[in-house]
Amino acid sequence: MSEIIQQDIENGVTAQQAEAKKPWSGQKKFGFRVLFIFFLAMSIPFSANWYKNVFTLDWSRPHYRDLYDIARFQPSFLSLFGGQRLRHITDSPSGDETAKKDRARKNKAEKADTKKENAKALPPKRSFLADYVDWGIALVFALVGALIWTAFDRKSKSYHILYYWIRVVVRYRAGIGIIGFGFTKLFPTQMPYPSLGLLNSNFGDFTAQKIYWLSVGVVPWYQVFGGVVEIVAGAMLFFRKTSTFGAILLAAALGDITFVNYAYDGGVHVYAFYFVLLGLFIAADDFPKLYNLLILERYTVPFRVYPNFRKPWLKYSRITLKVLTFVIFFGVLTYTEIINFKYDPYKQPATAGVKKLRGNYRVSEFKVNGEVIPFNPLDSTRWQEATFENWTTLTFKINRPVLIDPSNGGGSPMRDIQRTFEISGVAGGQRAFHYYADTVDKVLYLQDKNVMALRGGRKGADKAKEAKPKEDNWISKTAWQHIGDENKMIDKAAWSTRRDREFEEKPREVKRQRMVLKYDTTDGSRVILSGINERKDSIYVVLDRYDRQYVLPKSTLSAGKY
Amino acid sequence: MSNTNIPSPSVWTDREKLIFRFFFLFFILQAIPLSVDFFKIVFGFNWFHISYGDIFNLTRLSAKFLPGADSLINWIIVAIIAIIGVVAWGKSKYKDIDYDQFYYWLRVVVRYRLAIGIIGYGFIKFFPLQAPFPSISNLNTSYGDFTDWKIFSMSLGIVPSYEAFLGAIEILAGLLLFFRKTATIGAAIILVFTGNVFISNLAYEGGEFVYATYLVTFALFVLWFDAQRIYNLVSLERPTLPNSFKPHFAGKTKTLRLVFKTLVIFFFVFLYGFKTYSGFHHDPYQFPRTKGLARAAGIYNVSEFRINGRVLPYAAVDSIRWKDVVFEKWATISVRSDRKVIVDSANYEQVFKNDKDRDYELAGTAGRHYYSYTIDSVNHILLLDNKNPHYKGEQLRLRYSRPDSVTVTLSGTNQHRDSIYVVLNKIDKKYPLKLSRRKALKL
Repeated sequence: MSEIIQQDIENGVTAQQAEAKKPWSGQKKFGFRVLFIFFLAMSIPFSANWYKNVFTLDWSRPHYRDLYDIARFQPSFLSLFGGQRLRHITDSPSGDETAKKDRARKNKAEKADTKKENAKALPPKRSFLADYVDWGIALVFALVGALIWTAFDRKSKSYHILYYWIRVVVRYRAGIGIIGFGFTKLFPTQMPYPSLGLLNSNFGDFTAQKIYWLSVGVVPWYQVFGGVVEIVAGAMLFFRKTSTFGAILLAAALGDITFVNYAYDGGVHVYAFYFVLLGLFIAADDFPKLYNLLILERYTVPFRVYPNFRKPWLKYSRITLKVLTFVIFFGVLTYTEIINFKYDPYKQPATAGVKKLRGNYRVSEFKVNGEVIPFNPLDSTRWQEATFENWTTLTFKINRPVLIDPSNGGGSPMRDIQRTFEISGVAGGQRAFHYYADTVDKVLYLQDKNVMALRGGRKGADKAKEAKPKEDNWISKTAWQHIGDENKMIDKAAWSTRRDREFEEKPREVKRQRMVLKYDTTDGSRVILSGINERKDSIYVVLDRYDRQYVLPKSTLSAGKY
Repeated sequence: MSNTNIPSPSVWTDREKLIFRFFFLFFILQAIPLSVDFFKIVFGFNWFHISYGDIFNLTRLSAKFLPGADSLINWIIVAIIAIIGVVAWGKSKYKDIDYDQFYYWLRVVVRYRLAIGIIGYGFIKFFPLQAPFPSISNLNTSYGDFTDWKIFSMSLGIVPSYEAFLGAIEILAGLLLFFRKTATIGAAIILVFTGNVFISNLAYEGGEFVYATYLVTFALFVLWFDAQRIYNLVSLERPTLPNSFKPHFAGKTKTLRLVFKTLVIFFFVFLYGFKTYSGFHHDPYQFPRTKGLARAAGIYNVSEFRINGRVLPYAAVDSIRWKDVVFEKWATISVRSDRKVIVDSANYEQVFKNDKDRDYELAGTAGRHYYSYTIDSVNHILLLDNKNPHYKGEQLRLRYSRPDSVTVTLSGTNQHRDSIYVVLNKIDKKYPLKLSRRKALKL
């Protein structure tokens, strides 16, 4: 019996050797050259920001986003040529990139200012193909490169070793990329559990995208499962024996996510499909063999040529690369993700709200300039209901339309006011205001979180250039002393260099709607707010807390420390 | 079977035989729908008017010894019977059968059962019936007032194209299972997708996880046949022999096989597919069929509310006063108020023919009371019946008038025989979901 096996294997080995020596056809060689350059171009970061991030990264005080940004890139040749992407297709453009693109967009927007005001609020028109323009450019590169390569390389008969290496590159690219994604689900911060303001909103008042994100957010354990799948797929890609299975899993899971993004307008369809493509490329090597074995039911001899890893330099660089990948993307990333999940979930504001002011409130009394406005669901000035979230946000509902922020509330801004998941994609007159609390004088300094509504929709545009911002002193020096430094308000464990840097930068000047309200309460069950609202009217509001029972089960895996 | 490259016939060890006998009995028992429901459905069939609901209910059957919802206890019973069977088999003269042959036939049974099950779900997704677009009432209910299962269903309901895509994948996997050589691929697809359904059912507390597990075990069994070969080829990169057993059909069996296969595929693919298609257009099953008050569909603000002649003004909190009222296109009215709702939660898939059983709109949600109603158009009277089984027998008898196209007044008696008078004004409500995603939305 064992002889037969032995013989078979030997037959197999000779068959393999024969296969290795067989020269490739001209077509096959050209095709390979195109694919090689194409996938190389798709797998290597070309943006300056990516390198800037890598080289300025402070490894002694890392933030999860530092590593995430290493993992998260996709071909963007258009930006190299000074063009701009049609749309943030990423859930999470890095801060710098956002600013730059926004500036570019703003300039354009100014020119077009005479056009309909509303038009600016849109995610710019997108067509199916335009989204993939960078891929097209990569393909053009590949074709041109392959022609040049063909002209100069007349000797090579086949490219088994190069094929091996391009598969390694793509495997690592896909593996690292998907792991970066997976960890934000493993420690569920990517889709937060809905805050009170969201729980109180009608299902029909959300955009499609919001509904999708929330539907995953309500089941954090399912999100964890999704993270596990992505991470397992990624980890499998790092090993030869499992890479095909990892690639199939990746292509299947991300294929589903691609479709989800198209259906719900999630905006990450290109990036998701990018992984499908990489996964298919990796798995493609085994498809003919599996077809031969399973469908044709034929004896199948696998064939693959490996570089000689006995050479010491190859051996050690291989080990180093692998160990480095694992230390960074499993070790450091896990650590920073846990910190992020525990103290600074990136889509929720991180600063704890005033302890006494938490929960659902009924608006029992509402006065504008001294005049009582009785409860009426159709009234367009009166607050209908309000919530103080666990963090520094006050939400309330007014029966007056507002421009919806169409983003997915992503990115990873450090400042709480820019973390807009709780308001993006929400209609129904819902408002969310961030507050700084002066707990000594009991004053809340509130600013509208919906930037979209303020600028007639110029989301993300900064007006810094338009008008030199005057020294802004709506919050007095003493009040600032009482409020403290937002940078240091989260748990010390979550402090990071990235956070410091972002707080050092001057915040982009955005003329937000503001309110300054004194609050008066004994234990939070009744709160009296009085002061100036966003329309410069003086208001007086009596809020009574009530205990609202939700049918939706509470989250058993809550992020953040409040 | 074993991980060698020996040509057929493969050698079965005693242990393998023992294990095989167990799985043989286990899967056969699981695959045959040994349950009262089976007979109920089959004899309840109107063979001249088969509805897609009947076929669906048929595809969803599994061995069931206990009445009520699916439960893993049924599995334990099956396993115990299988173990007893294994012992008896081991002592009988049938111990030395041709195991390759039996394995082939077992795999046929499992493949077909799995294919039928998965296609059953596939078509009601492909023609998006299973998760319909949320009703007006559902759209006007707070997010926190739904169970997670209901949220899952409605979230799928807003994207029919995605639902159809999921259905297409299931149908494809099912079709691959009908053929021996492609069965493994079909099983792998099911494992990835139904595995996901299984986990999401656990997560969203859906009622289908037992059945999803059932399908997953079947898929695992089908995949197992080739698993070692695939591992040998792909992971170990060793030369690998293909399956060597080929079923032999000749004469009568050949015809029989062809007839059987054609029948199954005709019934569960073509007929069922056609029925779901026409059902999608004429009778989607989640919502009632009876038409509601003409041109009334929409949400209404309650601008005036009187009880026993006493006016209740707008109030932030009031357990009696209604806040808003929805008329659906079909004969359902829902009322939002501060009055508590005990949630009715049926969360596994059943296809009901009668309107009164169609409770999808109120399943898994609080916040509103749901009433089915009948219209007496001569006397202008609506007779409302609370649909929630927790409020059985709650009836409202209301005379309606419609002074203009956006106003409805209702007067009559409520469930406590109090007289009420209600003025409803239609709200021009806009939903981001129904508006263009390409324009700035000011809502």
